[in-house]
This record gives sequence, structure tokens and C-alpha cells, in this order.
Amino acid sequence: MKRFVLRFLRSPEGVAGLILLSCLVAMALLAPVLFPRDPLAIVGRPLTAPFTDASLPLGTDRLGRDVLAGLMHGARASLLVGIFAALVAILVGAVVGTVAGFAGGLIDEALMRVVDAFQIVPGFLLALAFVSVTGPSLPVIVFAIALGAWTGPARLARAEVLSIRERDYVAAARVIGMHPAEIAFKEVLPNALPPVLALVSVIVASAVLIEAALSFLNLGDPNIVTWGSMIAEGRNVLRTAPYLSIVPGFGLVLTVLGVYLFGEGLVEGMAHRRRRQ
Amino acid sequence: MSSFQISRRGLLQGAASIALLSALPGAVHAQEAPQGGRLVVAADSEPRNLNPAIVASNAVFFISSKVIEPLAEAALDGEGALAPRLATSWEGAEDGLSVTFKLREGVTWHDGKPFTSADVAFSAMEVWKPLQNLGRIVFANLEGVDTPDDLTAVFRFSTPTPIQMIRNALPVVTSVLPKHLYEGTDIASNPANNAPVGTGPFKFAEHRPGEYYRLTRNDAYWGEGQPKLDEIIFRILPDRAAAASALEADEIQLAAFSQVPLVDLERISKVPGLKVVTEGYEALTYQLVVEINHRNKILADLKVRQAIAHAIDRDFVVATVFLGFAAPATGPVPQNAPEFYNPDVPEYAYDVDKANALLDEAGYPRGADGNRFQLRLLPAPFFSETRQFGDYLRQALADVGIDVTIVANDTPAHLKAVYADHDFDITVGSPVFRGDPAISTTILVQSGIADGVFFSNQGGYANAELDAIIAEAAETVDTEARTALYNDFQRIVAGDLPLINVAEWGFTTVASARVANVGNNPRWAVSNWADTGLLP
Repeated sequence: MKRFVLRFLRSPEGVAGLILLSCLVAMALLAPVLFPRDPLAIVGRPLTAPFTDASLPLGTDRLGRDVLAGLMHGARASLLVGIFAALVAILVGAVVGTVAGFAGGLIDEALMRVVDAFQIVPGFLLALAFVSVTGPSLPVIVFAIALGAWTGPARLARAEVLSIRERDYVAAARVIGMHPAEIAFKEVLPNALPPVLALVSVIVASAVLIEAALSFLNLGDPNIVTWGSMIAEGRNVLRTAPYLSIVPGFGLVLTVLGVYLFGEGLVEGMAHRRRRQ
Repeated sequence: MSSFQISRRGLLQGAASIALLSALPGAVHAQEAPQGGRLVVAADSEPRNLNPAIVASNAVFFISSKVIEPLAEAALDGEGALAPRLATSWEGAEDGLSVTFKLREGVTWHDGKPFTSADVAFSAMEVWKPLQNLGRIVFANLEGVDTPDDLTAVFRFSTPTPIQMIRNALPVVTSVLPKHLYEGTDIASNPANNAPVGTGPFKFAEHRPGEYYRLTRNDAYWGEGQPKLDEIIFRILPDRAAAASALEADEIQLAAFSQVPLVDLERISKVPGLKVVTEGYEALTYQLVVEINHRNKILADLKVRQAIAHAIDRDFVVATVFLGFAAPATGPVPQNAPEFYNPDVPEYAYDVDKANALLDEAGYPRGADGNRFQLRLLPAPFFSETRQFGDYLRQALADVGIDVTIVANDTPAHLKAVYADHDFDITVGSPVFRGDPAISTTILVQSGIADGVFFSNQGGYANAELDAIIAEAAETVDTEARTALYNDFQRIVAGDLPLINVAEWGFTTVASARVANVGNNPRWAVSNWADTGLLP
């Protein structure tokens, strides 16, 4: 573990990603402290340009809402959606993959066809359809994104389980009379998990983007600030107040970049560990 | 109002005559325009049915009003603020049971057949009354149309029908169809609905789906020296950002109905060779309204509704949401309907302290978290302004301790939630004032309307006094007495707040400076453009 951390810290991508992500997490955690008011509150003259008013460093939008407060609170929404969507996707994917791989036979066939069915629909379309039917709110959006993202972890988990279940210690567990479910989730799953976890960064990054895209299409939760909704608002005044789109767009780019680099670092660290094994 | 299309303009059909701007800038009077030229206009939707006699909606009128004419058009002056078109005069009987129209002589259809009173009688009985979204209301009691000669049509009504309402409805509901093309056919599916034949200054030439509509000059038009233009092309530009760039590149010369977004107007008004025209929409007034579900016990309390009215800063809404292209509203009739507008109504100035006091009085003190109660707000998705006002309203109500949750829906889901399921507390709506309160305004507050009727009172509001006034006005033939009843109507609505009127707005036109006579009548964008010309 210590070596893994060392390796991670030696990879430039990992460090850069870690720094970016730490900044984001700090922003998200500090948002309610620095801006205790609702970030959607009207606090100043509409369309104040950035760097012109010390109390509103990044200016205001068309209704006079503080852009900096929106940016900070938006980081919260983005990270929340990203992390929870990834969590749900990995959880569901790992369980389905493990059951399919371990049980085999008909159950495997049935579950994998379900996975296929979900995989042929692009994740964004699935989320779009789901949100427009159920109406936008944060939990719905998290679930909608996870809906299109759980198939990757499921297939990967299944493949890992297929190889692990033939190992000697699994056979030993069978011999001592452990329940198959116990073997699957206590013995097999923990060992199948690490490569599946490597998918987290991919899922978080795409979840952040999908959430932004949904908000951009006015399918986000209208009661919270998200970067996507800020960009959508700003798009109307793109030619007169471009900063309204650029500022949250920048946040979005840095988040996705940070998550991606962090993921690269993780893979790097793990790859070294594996080679050693 | 049953016919419904999902498009910016199609949403709220039609709008009627009568409206005078008190002060009109000099730019608007008639200019002498040269003959000839082709005008290219941006169109943002392609109506499936181009027949304005069936679908009286602005999206349809925008194109077909140049081809098919009504009996009279709205005007800035003239008798009853109407300009004669196919009818030259109209007179209501004293008992309100008949209206006599004298028709224009020497008018021919685009296919050469003469226009007669038989066409008017046929259109009224077979199309306007049974098929048209607004004609169904206006001509509900029309019994028959007599045609004593080719140039006289007498409308007979079964109950007294106010001539005032008929007059105000003329520009919108009376598009005359050629009887010889429609008689004996299935009117709703007649091919002429998509390639209209009329008496107007322009003939319908062709429609290329997704590309354009082309209209050409009617050389046999009855108007002397009209039309000016040789050709009008409606280019389909559904992307609203594209209209502004196309204007700048001179690919199109005109974009009406605020196709260029408000936020772009300041920039585009400085582009040499382009002009921004706000005139020409006086009779097409949209109203920004907070509709209220009176089934909610909290909102059934007048004090709460008054508090909400006091919590809204109308001037802020006009200045930021509409960037000044709107006016604060005082009641259910807009100020640019001077025939009816009553300024003497209870007003609700922006006053947060008063709103707080009213809510305390009503028995809703602030809780530990500063909130008094929760409401669910459904902003109509029809316009970016209605959505943005929803965002503002949430903040404005937060200031007085009302915790609002916005529920965003797309158009079909919104209409279902509000008008069929009544699944809302407050909603932001955008009804249209169509020149006469009886056409589409009284329905917003009247009780006893079936569930599921769009743009009507679905908030469960019932006020016997108001219902009585509405019923009386519907049968009052005398214009003055009827106007007085509508003055009372406005006073009661503004006082009892079945809904809260916030602002009223029209649209803007952006045109090349070469286009002459833009916006010179109160329904200009949906009028016949016979005097519109292109300067060299």
C-alpha cells in the first residue's frame, strides 16, 4: 500500500490530478461556509462584469446572481453527482457481474442479455429519456446517469469472477461447505474488485459531463446551481457577456481533467504493483 | 383553444384587434415605397396547416395573412380602430341579434373567380363557427348568414351578441375562404389548406419543407398600387441565433416575433443598416401571470395572495427579465387596450415589509429556518422569459419566507400538470389578450370550466360576483354598458387576485433599414404587408 502511494505520487499525472481534485473538493466543502446564502439569490446589479466589484469578484448573471457563489456551489453539485453516480454504477455492476460470473448457466445468460440491452442505448440518451419522464431532481439525475454506466463494471466484474472462481481457494471454500453466495461475495468479489474500481474515474468524469449536458438542456434540477445550468443561462448572452459561460465551462474542464489525471495516476500505481506480483 | 402546437408563437393562438399606442414615434407613418423587389423573411416554424380560417394562430397568420384576407384588419386609427379589407362597413342591430356587412366590390380570388357574399356565408357557417379555435367562442350563437345580394352578408345570432366583441374579433377570426374550392369537400383535409388560395396581395407559390415558403405578387389585387413587393420568401430558420447572423449577412431582411433574442438587440441595434422596431405588436399582447391553485388552503387566503403580489418587484422584472421590452401590469387587461383598460384598480407596490406583515397576519409565522410554508412553482416552458421569471419569483418569495421549489416540465407535461391534473401550487403563465376580454381573458378566472381546457381557470377559483359580471357582459349589446362591466371585472380581479398579473409584453422586429413601412399597424407581423416595400 505504501509503495502504491509512493508510485502514485511519483507519476506526474497522478499528482496533477490529485491537486486539481483537492482544490475542487475544498471548493465544494467551503461553499456553504463562504457563501451561506442560496447561490441563486439575487445579490447585485444584473450582468456586473468580473473584477469590477470587490464583493462580487466574478460578477453577476442576468438576474444579478453571484457567479463565484454559483461556481463554488456548482462544484458541490458536480462532485456529488459524479461520486454518487459512480458509486451506484459500481455497486450495481459489481453485484450483477459477480452473480452472473459465479452462477453461470441460465442466470449468466439472462443477466448478460440485460447488460447488452442497456449497453446498446447510449448512456446520455438513456439519462435524457429517464429524466424527461420522471422529472428532474438530484437523486433522479444520479440514478439516470448510473443507469447508463453500470454495464461496464458489470462486464468487467463478470470477466474477473470467471477467472477467479476456478482458483484453488475458491474450490477450498466449497469443500469446507460455504454457501455459494458467501463464497461469491466474501471470497470472489473482493478480489475481482480492483480492476473494476479503475473504472471509477471514467464514470465520474462522464457523469459530471452528462449532468452538465442535462442541465444545459434545462433538464437539471432547477432548484440548485450546477455548472451546466450556468452555461445554459450564459449561452443566451454569449455575445454580450461571454464570461457567464466561460467561468463554469472552465470549472467543468478542470474537473474532468482532474478526475482523468487522477485515474491515470491510479492505473500507474496499480500497474507497477501488478508487475511486481 | 383546443388546437395546440409546440412552437414559440403557435402556442398561443391569434390575437385580436384594437389597440392604440398613445404615443407613436414618427418612424411609423406611411412611407412611399418603390415597386418591386424580393423580401426574405426569417420563419421559425412550419405550420402543418396554413389555413387561418381553421387555425387562427400567429404562426399561421405570419405566412397566410398575405394570401387570405379577413373582413377587416386592426388599424392605428379609423372607425373602431379597424381598417376595412374584404368588408367595407359593418353595423350591428340594436337588439344585438344581427350584424350587416357590406362587402368590397370587384375583388377576385387568385384563381380568377369573383369574391361574393356566398364565400363569406360559407366561411362563417362551415368553417369559423364549427372548426376554428377562436371562432367557436365568438360565433357560438351564430344561427345563419343571409346573403340578400352579392355584396351584403347579414349574420343572425340566436342570443344578443355584442357588436363590440364581433368588431374586436374581426381581424383574427374572419379569414374568408373561397367557397368554390371548399364546398362539398372535407374542409379539414382540403389540399388548399397547404397551398392557400385567397384574395390577398400575394399568391401562394410554393413550399419547400425545411427550406422556404414563396409568395408572389397578385397583379389583380384590389388595393390601388399594391402590393409593392414582387416576392416574399419565408426562409425557415428554426435556430434563433441564426436569424441574427443572417440579418447581419443580409441573407434575410427581416426577422419578426422577437426571433432575434432580447439580449442581442442592443448589440444588433448598433449594426449599420439594421433597425429594431418595437411597433406593430400592440394588438398581440402577451401577459406574464402568476396563476394560483386555490385548492391549496394557504393560497385560498386573500392575504397570502396579496403578500405574494407585494413581494414581486415588477420594475425589476421588466428591466432584467424583459430588458425593458415590456410594461408592468396592473390588472387582467393590458394598457394598450385603451377601450377596456381600467387604471383605477387596487395596486400592489413592491413592499417586502408589507408582504411579511400580511403573511404574519394570515397566521403563517416564520419557522426556525426562516420559512413560513412551502410552495411548488411550475414555470411555463413556453418562453425563456417565463422560465427566467420563475427563477426570479423563487428568490422574491424566499425574501418573504416562502420556500419555493421549482418543478421544471416540458410543454406537454406542463400543460397536463397544470390544466388537467391541477398538480401545482403556483405557476407562471403567459396568456394572450386578444382585443376583447370575452375572447380569452374572462376564461382565466371564470368558474365552472371543464378540467383539461388549456389556458383557462384550472386553479379552482370561484367568485359568484365575478361570474355574474362575465355572464352579463357576454349578452350586453350596448358598448358603453359592456365596457363598464369590464371595468368592474378588472377591479374585482385586481382586488381579489384569482391570478396575479405581473407584466405585459409584445415582440420586436429586426429589419434591414431598407424595408419600408415596418410595424405600421397593431398586428403588423400578421397583416397583409401590401404597403411593405424595399428601398434601393
